[in-house]
Amino acid sequence: MTHPFRFILCLAVLLAAVTTGMVSYAGQDLERLDSWAFESPRRPGAVFPHDDHIFLADDDCSVCHHVYENGELVPDESSEDLYCSDCHSLKPAPDNPMPLEAAYHKLCRDCHFDQGEGPVLCGECHVKE
Amino acid sequence: MNSFIAFIMGPMVWISFIIFLGGLTIKLVGILKAVRQKEPYIYSYVTLKHSLRSIGAWMIPFFPRSARMSPVYYGISYLFHVLLFLVPLFLASHIVLINEAFQISWPALNDQVADWLTLGVIAALIFFAVRRVMVPEVKFLTGAMDYVLILLVMLPFLTGFLAYHQWIAYRWITVIHILSGELVLIIIPFSRFSHMLTAPLTRAYMGSEFGHVRQAKDW
Repeated sequence: MTHPFRFILCLAVLLAAVTTGMVSYAGQDLERLDSWAFESPRRPGAVFPHDDHIFLADDDCSVCHHVYENGELVPDESSEDLYCSDCHSLKPAPDNPMPLEAAYHKLCRDCHFDQGEGPVLCGECHVKE
Repeated sequence: MNSFIAFIMGPMVWISFIIFLGGLTIKLVGILKAVRQKEPYIYSYVTLKHSLRSIGAWMIPFFPRSARMSPVYYGISYLFHVLLFLVPLFLASHIVLINEAFQISWPALNDQVADWLTLGVIAALIFFAVRRVMVPEVKFLTGAMDYVLILLVMLPFLTGFLAYHQWIAYRWITVIHILSGELVLIIIPFSRFSHMLTAPLTRAYMGSEFGHVRQAKDW
């Protein structure tokens, strides 16, 4: 086998392996947030492995499932029994200054910025289906 | 890496806009001072009415005679300039970020439409580059920097297109998208992109010289 030919063969095998890997990754069923509360979502629901986050939050559900009263975070209260959209309406309202979309974006992204890891760019959570 | 992204999505945006707007302001003051020093009589006949009349006339598509003399170049150039502002300012993804920062919002373009318009901007830039190679009188006036500037304007649109489709290296493409957008803003006052300030000034001068002094049209 000549050298250029061997090189091209190696390259082809490598390319095939990478492509197969990418396709099988893209085909994976990713755990996503349910976006039913949005009227006409522009993006697919954000990829969100819930169980991993229970571990990351040291089993403290209130880190994400928080309770706010009069704009103040109520410590040691949690809200797992509510939907996010129960408090966060789609549009800002007197009793809810934080619309649903911004609530999700801020909760996830700000924590990922604070922790120095996790997705922070649009398409890193809203992975194309 | 996240702290770097936080920096380019936060403070760097402010720095870019301050250099962009501050640079153009300093440039404007410099031009007005230079006119006062060298040719102060210009101030005696420049009027707001003739300035705005000329700027307005040149903003109507195919209205100026020189635009009708080269309709293909002018048409593409006109559309390009409209899209250059329209697409980034009315892109849903950008409006979401602005809304989160300032609690203000406005209607967004449909994503598929914006996708095609982005390709339109890229195609126009390719046309400008090809024109610089093909048209002799333009080629004569073209230097390496002209191609660099075309590439620089193309970069945010190309990476924005790639990021939207999430085809390859999403994180890196998006980081380059943000950085190149900021770079273009920063170099506007220091490059020929400052024609966003000087072009209306030229029209103000020409509009007044022709309209006010010679009683003629400048379009």
